Amino acid sequence: MKSQLDMDKIAKGLGAERRGKVTAGGGYFGAMQLLADIEARFRVPSGGGRPTDPGWTERRLLPLAPKTLKKLEEMSAKVREHGMNVEPMQLAALLIERMAEELSEEEAEDLVRPKRRASR
Amino acid sequence: MAKATERKPRGGQKVLSGGRKRVLVVLFVPSVERDGTTPIDQQRWVDASLEMFGRVFGGATAYPKAQGVWRDDERRGTLVMDEPVVVHCYTTPADIQDDGNLAALGAFCRKMGRDAKQGEIGLVVGDEYFAIREFGEE
Repeated sequence: MKSQLDMDKIAKGLGAERRGKVTAGGGYFGAMQLLADIEARFRVPSGGGRPTDPGWTERRLLPLAPKTLKKLEEMSAKVREHGMNVEPMQLAALLIERMAEELSEEEAEDLVRPKRRASR
Repeated sequence: MAKATERKPRGGQKVLSGGRKRVLVVLFVPSVERDGTTPIDQQRWVDASLEMFGRVFGGATAYPKAQGVWRDDERRGTLVMDEPVVVHCYTTPADIQDDGNLAALGAFCRKMGRDAKQGEIGLVVGDEYFAIREFGEE
């Protein structure tokens, strides 16, 4: 995933040295990012019910493989251990949203561009 | 948990052009000086960092103390054991690359490094780690 940030400009502006990449998608930073996302965005609806992002006004059916649903259930259980109430499909919505935001226009085009199949 | 109000992204922004707060900035607020034993006024720096992030980038979250270690290569690799507070701030690509915002963030880090007698101030921006080691007077 391209960051699309000018890291040299950021380093110069901060008066800092670039010391290397961190894995933003997984590990500590990935988990912390997810928790921060949930905490910052989820609100209890005024009419009651479970906390959710008030910006999520559209609903669609999402086909999933059982193993994906199982993974989402495990991840949401882990998040709940930190005292944040999140359902597996809310987690799916967060992850889809993040990927959609981070995808560059070029990468989005690559996803729909027909690929040549290898032939013998 | 110390917390500043997080500004919510406004609707109607373009998904692919990077107008939303999708860049995570992580600052490590140390608990001890470079010698590894002299405690610093950590809460003061946590409060000051939240104030700075709130003012410059619109919000931040400070997490409870963590356990950390830093190898001081200028003191023969001495290990400095620490209990840092990790501060998270979400911002936009435009805001993190703004010259004025970078100057404010850099100045804060240098002040903390200088006043709290640190060897290095660590900052993660997006997917990259930045080290600030020169804390010269502003």
